[in-house]
Amino acid sequence: MFIEIDATKCMGHGRCYAVAPDLLTDDDEGFVAERGQRWEVPADLLDQAQEAVDACPEGAIAVSSAAPVDA
Amino acid sequence: MTETHRGCPVTHTDYTTTTPIFEHYALLNADRERDRFLFNDSTERGFVMLQRYDDVQAGFQQHQNWTTAVRSALRPGVGEPLLPQDLNGEEHVKLRKILNQFFAPAAVRRLEPLATQRCIELIEELKPKGSCDFVAEFAIRYPTDLFLALLGLPVSDGQMFLEWSEELFSAMLAGEPTRAALAKKNITDYFEKALEERRANPGDPATDMVTRLLEARIDDEPLTQDQILTILLTLMLAGLDTTRSALGYVYTHLATHQDHRRELVEDPDLIGKAVEEFLRLYPLVFQAGREVQEDQEFEGLELKKGDVVWLGIGQANRDPRKFEDPDEFIIDRPGANQHLAFGGGPHRCLGMHLARLELKVVLEQWHERIPDYRIAAGTELKERGGQLTLQSLPLEWEV
Repeated sequence: MFIEIDATKCMGHGRCYAVAPDLLTDDDEGFVAERGQRWEVPADLLDQAQEAVDACPEGAIAVSSAAPVDA
Repeated sequence: MTETHRGCPVTHTDYTTTTPIFEHYALLNADRERDRFLFNDSTERGFVMLQRYDDVQAGFQQHQNWTTAVRSALRPGVGEPLLPQDLNGEEHVKLRKILNQFFAPAAVRRLEPLATQRCIELIEELKPKGSCDFVAEFAIRYPTDLFLALLGLPVSDGQMFLEWSEELFSAMLAGEPTRAALAKKNITDYFEKALEERRANPGDPATDMVTRLLEARIDDEPLTQDQILTILLTLMLAGLDTTRSALGYVYTHLATHQDHRRELVEDPDLIGKAVEEFLRLYPLVFQAGREVQEDQEFEGLELKKGDVVWLGIGQANRDPRKFEDPDEFIIDRPGANQHLAFGGGPHRCLGMHLARLELKVVLEQWHERIPDYRIAAGTELKERGGQLTLQSLPLEWEV
């Protein structure tokens, strides 16, 4: 499974890294540091990835099974 | 036949009056369940109400066409200039970029020791009395002191500052511009002195907000003195009354729900989750306003340039389509933190992490010292409309 964070939708609520501390980190401004990226989620962190998707009030995070387009 | 306005059923609900506590949430629920969209004609301009969670969330994301030219659907076109709120688009992003770092979780964590120490001092001062007006003697003093600390100003100025800010709030709400201007002058004089002092002795702009505001450049231009004063005044207006209000509702709930209070006393690790659920259940900013800039169709609504839109935060947070048993307080509610108490989109509340820290620290420290308390017998609690707050909350405990 892959997680993708849409940098244009992310507004820095900071709820994703609060619920997925092993998968996501915060930057100096309080935004998720991994915004704009797409990467494969380790199997043991899939629950956290889904929690991050659900926690985002902007709908900026998606988890999908498709491989990255530019891979 | 139902009265309609451009196809929307019309509601007359007035959300600006003082009522018994919790009445606004009942009014909000009733309007939301009446129809998906309503036109409210209780103000001169009227406003289109978005009320369901999905619609309110989508509404916050229409920021390119729906701007903060109107900030409150209930009071369009009046009030103090605010920064960064009054800016939109790129201009707004640039100013938020200067401020964000002081309100990010990392910066807020640096404040925690001081926030905890000040909280303990205030509680220890009240504890031997066995009673207090929680709103006036604690809930407003605490965020005022922390606001000064955030600016690197002496917490010992809190009592003096509080008198001015309370005077400004009450004059603004009473619609008395002369009295408001006088109160505002005391505050801006105080800020000007602080700016002067910091110009002479700059701090580290990475951790000192006033220094950062003095040194910041937007498109190579420094901020003007007026802009900096407006920013400081905005932080004050946004942070003090709201925290006081949130604490009022939280403590009313806990004073009247012994089971929930016991849970937090016995397991303080639950406090973080409880804070999210309190924010969901008792949002005090229950609406945000926006003004439509160009004609637009939204979910079947025909919006015209100049229309005022109501983004129903209070209705979204208690929407049964989103939250099961939405009027119940459920400490470990799954997905509680998806609430919209802090708004959404680029204008989402700058101070949300500070607010969470303040609520968490108060709940931890208070319950360690005063685990049992009640509302004084015979009290009738009232809430102010517009932006909810309790005027008073008399609490008692055994000494």
